[in-house]
Amino acid sequence: MKTTKPSPDAARQPHTTGGEGGQTRRSFLDRLGLGTLLTAIAGQTWMMVRALVPNVLYEPSLRFKVGTPDRFPEGVTFLEDRRLFIFRNQKMFYAISGVCTHLGCTVKMIQLNQPQKVEIRGKLTEERWEFHCPCHGSKFYAEGTPYAGPAPTPLAWYRLEVAADDGQLIVNLMEPVNQDFRLTV
Amino acid sequence: MAAEKTIWKKLIWTWKPESEFEAGDSIVRNLLLHWFPSKITFRSLSYRYSFWLGTASAILFGILTVTGVVLMFLYVPSVERAYASIKDIEFAVAFGWFLRGLHRIGAHLMVAVVFLHAVRVFLTGGYKNGVAANQNRPLNWIIGVVLLLSTLLLSFTGYLLPWDQLAFWAITVGTNIALAAPVVGEQTRFLLLGGNTIAQGALIRFYVLHCVFLPMLVLLLFAWHMWRIRKDGGLACADQLALDQKQEKAPPIKSKTYSLLGIAGTRTVHVEAALVDEDRHATPASPSLTLRLLVVILATVLLASLMTIVVEAPLEEPANPAVTSNPAKAPWYFLWLQELVADTTVRVGGLTLNGALVGGIIVPGILVGLLLVWPYLDRSSVRSAGIWFGSDRWRQNIVFLIIVLAILILTIVGTYMRGPYWGLYWPWETWPDLPRKF
Ligand code: HEM
Ligand code: FES
Repeated sequence: MKTTKPSPDAARQPHTTGGEGGQTRRSFLDRLGLGTLLTAIAGQTWMMVRALVPNVLYEPSLRFKVGTPDRFPEGVTFLEDRRLFIFRNQKMFYAISGVCTHLGCTVKMIQLNQPQKVEIRGKLTEERWEFHCPCHGSKFYAEGTPYAGPAPTPLAWYRLEVAADDGQLIVNLMEPVNQDFRLTV
Repeated sequence: MAAEKTIWKKLIWTWKPESEFEAGDSIVRNLLLHWFPSKITFRSLSYRYSFWLGTASAILFGILTVTGVVLMFLYVPSVERAYASIKDIEFAVAFGWFLRGLHRIGAHLMVAVVFLHAVRVFLTGGYKNGVAANQNRPLNWIIGVVLLLSTLLLSFTGYLLPWDQLAFWAITVGTNIALAAPVVGEQTRFLLLGGNTIAQGALIRFYVLHCVFLPMLVLLLFAWHMWRIRKDGGLACADQLALDQKQEKAPPIKSKTYSLLGIAGTRTVHVEAALVDEDRHATPASPSLTLRLLVVILATVLLASLMTIVVEAPLEEPANPAVTSNPAKAPWYFLWLQELVADTTVRVGGLTLNGALVGGIIVPGILVGLLLVWPYLDRSSVRSAGIWFGSDRWRQNIVFLIIVLAILILTIVGTYMRGPYWGLYWPWETWPDLPRKF
């Protein structure tokens, strides 16, 4: 658009006080104003985004009591709300996570009709159950090593402890352990 | 003419324009119509060129907005009450089943129609610039890709809201795919869920994304999409007309374009009219375009409503983190991805790459990347813009169709041939346990 009116810049000329590098008081104030506005917008945006990152989580604790050892029968107990299998063999306890390592579905425990001999990491072991995942068909041996499907790693094993105060079992989800872990009580 | 003015016509057609001027004026003056061209080519109007799929997408979005707003009055986004409120909508609220069903079918249809629209645009070379100045159809294609992704996200976030088993496990798998992304995976999932678990924080986030953020985004993108079409001089098929006329007529005047449809820059309709043979190729948008629009609206609303009555909207048991339904399936338009994440865990020596990363992030990432840059790689001639199966684009069309076909096949396998524990079953085989299909 061509216009015959004097441009706004021309109108400003009389106010020029001749700062260095062509900077005038007015253009300095323009920039200051614009800078302040942009900083304010950026700051407020940051605050709004940051407000959406929770500072406090009301999630279940990752280290929790599950009851005294004698509460657990021989064999396996599935703690539903924790998606955790607790195994008991006489005085020995261990815990395997029920969360599939592929994409987090809850695996199902499949009891085998007959014990099966399988070779896991070079060792021949007899297993009585397996874990199968309904989501994409991963299959795990009794101690959690995957042998079919997309799951990339074994099911997690977690540390078990005995509470000093009341003798309850404590599961510690923050501390994965290896498959030789056993807690003897 | 006057004799024809029966009472009926007076009642119904009072707005029918009497002259070309009135016809153009009625478009420009109208709040709802001003974004239409005042004249439009017959080719752009034809069903056979576009199948009106983009328009149908917009109508479905409209249906979803209207039904969605009513649902918002009835639905409670809390973990304790979400499931019960959907149950109420389904069984207690007057016509609730219809509202919810229409919203649901509308969402499924919208995903399908938006996808088909993209396929149409590709196969007709609709992202190619023609001969007019200032065209930027590749940009509009990119806007379209973002619209497609937004539609998928809308649907995915809506899927969680009923808080049933279907919802819970689809979101578990979906957000764990985000977890597999390198570097930012964990933070993304944390921010998306507002924590580490799928609980109240996740529900309210998905709810706000679904009801406010994503619909607004789609609306803005849609406005931009339409504005670009006007700036690009209408649909790509109109460029072929201009090319034809260039051959028929003496060399055209450089500074002018054929287009009536793009109100580009300072050109007036009259200047441009000199180049497009109006009467042979174009017609006033009012009433031709407006009437056809009404027909498409009618067809879309009818189809969606009929399907709502026929297809039942499922509602499974309430979400139960302890028990994964078996099989646990994503909505059908994500089943090709679920197939991919299930089949793409690769083991090279001691190294294991989770299928979540390969099939859930790398492969879809490459596909989206390809979609985005494709118009810039396409070197075919301008004669292939706006033409079905343009002759010098046959190679790219075949590549594209093969990819589409692969996605469809994976979707069909995932939908009909996956049973308990994701095992392969023929559709006529019975599954060993007693699970439901979805
Ligand atoms: C302004 C627009 C929208 C609003 C206000 C809205 C609102 C809602 C609300 C409140 C629900 C929960 C009630 C229910 O589950 O039936 C819902 C569900 C849903 N929405 Fe939307 N929605 C909108 C647009 C969309 C769009 C564009 C799509 C997809 C393309 C979509 C897909 C879904 C899906 C798949 C569900 C789940 C329905 C079910 O399982 O019953 N929505 N929506
Ligand atoms: S989540 Fe278990 S196989 Fe995918």
